Amino acid sequence: MAESFLLKYVREADQGDLDAYVARGGYEGLRRALGMAPEQVIDEVEQSGLRGRGGAGFGTGRKWKFLPKDPAVTKYLVVNADEGEPGTFKDRTLLEGDPHRLLEGIAIASYAIGAHQAFIYLRREFHRARAVLERALAQAYAKRYLGQDVQGSGYGLEVVVATGAGAYIAGEETALLESLEGRRAMPRLKPPFYPAVKGLYMQPTALNNVETLCHVAWILARGAAWYREQGMPILFSVSGHVQRPGVYELPLGTPIRQVIEAAGGMRPGRAFKACFPGGSSSAILPPPYLDTPMDYDLTKVDVYGSMLGSAAVIVMDDTTCMVEVVARTVEFYREESCGKCTPCREGTVWMTQVLERILHGQGRAEDLELLNGIAKGMTGTCFCPLGESVPPAIYSTMRFFRQEYEHHIRTGSCDVKAAVHAGAAR
Amino acid sequence: MTVTLTIDGRTVTVPKGTTLWHAAKAAGVDIPIFCYHDRMPPLGACRMCLVQVEKAPKLVTSCTLEAAESMVVHTTAPEVKAAQEGILEYLLINHPLDCPICDKGGECPLQDQTFRYGPGRSRYVEVKRDFAKPVSLGRVLVLDRERCILCWRCVRFGEIIAGDDALKGFERGFQTEVNTPFTMPVESKFIGNTIAICPVGALTARTYRFVARPWDNHRVSSVCTHCGVGCAVYFDVRGNAIMRTQARESPDVNDVWLCDLGFFGHGYVAHPDRLTQPLIRREGGLTPASWDEALDLVARKIAAARPGRTALLGGARMTNEDAYVAARVFRTAVSTTHLDCRLDARPGSPSLDVPWGMTTPIADLATRDAVVLVGCDLTEEYPVLWLRLKQAVDRGASVIALTPKALEIGRAVAHHLVYRHGEGAAVVAALAEARAGRPPGADVAGVAHGRIALAAQALGKASRPLVMIGKAALEGPDGAAMLEQVGALSEALGLPLSVLRGRGNVFGAAFAGLLPDTAPGGRPLEEMRADLERVWGEALPSGRGMSAPEIVEAAAAGDLDVLYVAGADPATDLPDRSRWTAARRGAPFVVVQDAFLTETAQGADVVLPALVIPEKDGTVSNIEGRVQAIEAAVAGPGEARADWQIMSALARRMGKMVAYSGWAEIADEMRSLIPELRTEAIVPLAPRAAAPAADARRPAGAGTVRPPDGSLTLIVGEALFDRGAMSARSGAIADLAGEPWALLHPEDAARVAVADGEPVVLTSRRGSVALRARLSTAILPGQVFVPRGYDAAPVSALVDAAEAVTHVRVAGL
Amino acid sequence: MALSEAALTEIRRLMAQFPERQSALLGALFVAQEQAGALSPEVVAEVAQVMDLPASEVASVASFYHLYRFRPEGRHLIQVCTNISCLLNGCGRVLEHLTKRLGVEAGETTPDGRFTLRTAECLAACETAPVMMVGPDRHGPLTPEQIDQVLEKYG
Repeated sequence: MAESFLLKYVREADQGDLDAYVARGGYEGLRRALGMAPEQVIDEVEQSGLRGRGGAGFGTGRKWKFLPKDPAVTKYLVVNADEGEPGTFKDRTLLEGDPHRLLEGIAIASYAIGAHQAFIYLRREFHRARAVLERALAQAYAKRYLGQDVQGSGYGLEVVVATGAGAYIAGEETALLESLEGRRAMPRLKPPFYPAVKGLYMQPTALNNVETLCHVAWILARGAAWYREQGMPILFSVSGHVQRPGVYELPLGTPIRQVIEAAGGMRPGRAFKACFPGGSSSAILPPPYLDTPMDYDLTKVDVYGSMLGSAAVIVMDDTTCMVEVVARTVEFYREESCGKCTPCREGTVWMTQVLERILHGQGRAEDLELLNGIAKGMTGTCFCPLGESVPPAIYSTMRFFRQEYEHHIRTGSCDVKAAVHAGAAR
Repeated sequence: MTVTLTIDGRTVTVPKGTTLWHAAKAAGVDIPIFCYHDRMPPLGACRMCLVQVEKAPKLVTSCTLEAAESMVVHTTAPEVKAAQEGILEYLLINHPLDCPICDKGGECPLQDQTFRYGPGRSRYVEVKRDFAKPVSLGRVLVLDRERCILCWRCVRFGEIIAGDDALKGFERGFQTEVNTPFTMPVESKFIGNTIAICPVGALTARTYRFVARPWDNHRVSSVCTHCGVGCAVYFDVRGNAIMRTQARESPDVNDVWLCDLGFFGHGYVAHPDRLTQPLIRREGGLTPASWDEALDLVARKIAAARPGRTALLGGARMTNEDAYVAARVFRTAVSTTHLDCRLDARPGSPSLDVPWGMTTPIADLATRDAVVLVGCDLTEEYPVLWLRLKQAVDRGASVIALTPKALEIGRAVAHHLVYRHGEGAAVVAALAEARAGRPPGADVAGVAHGRIALAAQALGKASRPLVMIGKAALEGPDGAAMLEQVGALSEALGLPLSVLRGRGNVFGAAFAGLLPDTAPGGRPLEEMRADLERVWGEALPSGRGMSAPEIVEAAAAGDLDVLYVAGADPATDLPDRSRWTAARRGAPFVVVQDAFLTETAQGADVVLPALVIPEKDGTVSNIEGRVQAIEAAVAGPGEARADWQIMSALARRMGKMVAYSGWAEIADEMRSLIPELRTEAIVPLAPRAAAPAADARRPAGAGTVRPPDGSLTLIVGEALFDRGAMSARSGAIADLAGEPWALLHPEDAARVAVADGEPVVLTSRRGSVALRARLSTAILPGQVFVPRGYDAAPVSALVDAAEAVTHVRVAGL
Repeated sequence: MALSEAALTEIRRLMAQFPERQSALLGALFVAQEQAGALSPEVVAEVAQVMDLPASEVASVASFYHLYRFRPEGRHLIQVCTNISCLLNGCGRVLEHLTKRLGVEAGETTPDGRFTLRTAECLAACETAPVMMVGPDRHGPLTPEQIDQVLEKYG
């Protein structure tokens, strides 16, 4: 198995310290990048095959190439550190454990696109990460890894940390920009507001995820060829009913089963029932899909909304009531909908009402058709991906776990929970 | 550049950049919509306008997607139909079906679109969202939150069109509601527009709630004459009463907007205080009389007056035709040269020397890249002009405002130079100097010199600048110097100066001839004498005509026998109230022709009941000189008559036939004298010869007079909402105006221990007025601002027009 | 004036960090909230004034985000994650224990003003589910006994 590098130093207590980071070869990637032309840096990243780790999976080098090259145009780098996709915690792990890696990635990316200001939009709840980051920033400025003249190259970069204030939607790139501009985090219209064209302050802007930029630091330090040899590892956030929930660095394409095994497997005596492979926005997959490789082709699986997403694998065992999970998932989107567009705002409310009714024993036979209809009304009609994230969980559970809904509606109670209780009583 | 595409099988060619929605409209295809309003950029929020574009992976919003060459669009495909039904079903799940009692019922886009595109039945069985209803957001706006479908139109209107950020979205997701912060009264001068563009009955007007059903109203085209912008309106009428005022689309004037004075300022028309019959003073009191009695008496008094000792004041409330007939009757039958409609000018005011009005079309404001606004509080005086200026600002124009009080549009004003009252001319001079490359080395009149230099820089960069001067500059203590400096700056930029001065139809009155020594059409009387005598069939009297301030002084000096006041209230209009008291005392016979028993009317010898604008047919002129037609929406009360009819009847009693079959005949006669006169055209006032001027009582220049210890310099200014004869009788406006107020700088207020909202008494050498204190840093310390227009507490009672600056003492109660 | 000179200075410092001053709004609101306890109408008006923004905009923005409060709350904010990973790991029991222990429902503040209890969406700490935050600190995985120990640390 290839070397683990993203997580290699994360648990070293001193990794947030500049000297320790440099002693372990830190900022080598930045030094190398500064010796290259910006376009060469972008080429190297493109050759590495790196795709954005925020969820959408767009080629990072390609994304940067959309920005205009004209040095007279002010450009910005914005770092999406607003990790909030349920089940995802790898960015927080990197922020807390390897802050200089991120700063190095930021400096490399900014240099590549010709930005002289970068903003880290940090989730407000990440208090520890903020403290770690602020300290790392101060050190990096002091040793001129950031600032007016980075490592004597003549290239200047300011990095500012801004925080969110409690809104999942701010993780959507255009909503993030609105929030960073001090407004309600409501997504912008695309077109014309593609960030690479009209981003922060209407200037061309590259938006990258924390993990993505950490990859960039490694790619520049070791080279694209090396990176590809590693099997293009990514970070999986594995949680739920596994023995050792946590962040795992595994090659892209690792089957779901092995991801779960890496996290210690299922708990004793319990069987895998289903999982979200890529955060709560992805479809819920049942056992037949356990050997599906976790890569960008997950979208090609025959389940609507199946995707790698943020690679947050939420594992559910046979004690799980799927109706409850779906109700909670939909309710989450209801709470986090910005309210801009009709289907997301109203559809999530309605769906939650129906699911709650079913859970509380007041389901009606026609409710399954109704749920499906509400989901259909949201499919392909929402303003941004948040609303579009709701139907996959509905469709997939109605397909794979229809009998659970039907049991709830028929009997007003949950057979799964009943079985668990009965088992406990035995 | 055009693109050709197919929509529902129809081929249509549209300019590149056209959205699918507009392209469909051009092709005759209707696409339902809620959030999009064509005066604002697309938002794409409601999702009602989804259409199918061949080869697109999913439905797209037609309001946001630009039409492209060879696109094939379907608006009635099953997928589109399903999406439309879905969106409407979503919108209706929490929308109360209280249509029978909803003001919007019958003109409701949600109702109409549900009828056309809706699913027919709802699958929603849960309990609908319920808000405590309704919420009052101030004096006119009422919010029913549960009816709101969150289209964001009202919010975006405040952000994009009015710039007042009056309404906002609060909370988020399904809990989102449109509101004001903390549900406080809405702060806006344009909120009526949000009611007009609300696609449901979420925003309603207190003045119209439960008042009428739309299908019972009939619409009458007219023009709002409150401020002078001349916004096109509809009066919605039921029976013989105006139910509401709506904006009438007029791309060159108000576009589709109005201000709240326009929306809610019609209440006075049907007020029970309206005069319904003539009154004659008998045994000390005004008692009802017949028209014959009243007119006979007036005619007798005028006939008995010695030559040159009758004068006419007023005209701003008349139509152009009224004013024309008044001018004709007074110049011929009455035979006087003393007529003037500019009552609110102080003696010797430089504003008497310049034609009032803009020298550029209103719509043109939006295309300027730098606008110098001197002494005009735009949103208080000409609110709808601000909407144009806002467009210019949004396109990158720099506004350079020089005012004695900070403007509420301050955030849009790049260079806001707030000067000490009476010293503004020095700031204008410094600005002009700085533009010529000589920036000031020190602060001027309380304005930081660096800011003047920056403003000059912005002006220097402009390729399409505009200079406008307003009342605060012209009527200020250094008005003459202001006019000179602003005029010079304007000239240096190669621009004709726009004078933002005058309310109501004063532009039409002046245009029609109610100015001393000026003929209808604005040319000097002497140039037109032969034509006028030919058309009017009378010899015109000679001799210099007096301006309004001179007429008032003449009356006070006992030099007039009859003073005829028509559509004006000099007791409250004059800047110095005592001058009217003296004039009334000095004039043996005063006639007032008005709609209400104003303070002036209360002291008159004869009062003649007149119609008001919504009761008239004819034309009016606005601040840019545009002549617009109006139609009578309602009949007047009792025996009230049109001004021209009264004038005509008066002439007959004086043995002269000045008779017309109606306004159209008057307009024809006007056109024979003013060939360029055409309805809906801008007919600029020809530059007049400088008015007689050289008034001996002209105050001595700049107000560098320092106030005596402990007293403050009084700034008298304008407020959109006040309590004058008409506004006090339009309930919503009187409410919006509130109690009369004075603006104090917090430092000054602290010195006299007055807190915000507390009552204060202002005392000058002339008198005292009780007001409510508002604390604000909008004025510099050492000054107090009081708006004109509150008839019950007239600030004019403090002013001595002979003094350049009025000083007042402030005391708490 | 509800805001201290120090708070105003900090807000101005934040404004200077960005090309456009409104970018500092979210940060400024936290500064104001921490100093004044809550975003009262007066505080909102003052933030608007110092940042030269419409008060309506400031209030509207603040109301969008869940970490601002318009009325004073407890000294320590307890946020119990109730999202899926925590749901799967028994966040219900955590919440139940807290409501019993504190005598308040989610969304309420203890009578002594010590704690405000709230449910939260995913706190990005699913490896330690069930998880909660008390003020700036993260705690998990939680058992009822641990909850009691944790609470003792907050006076």
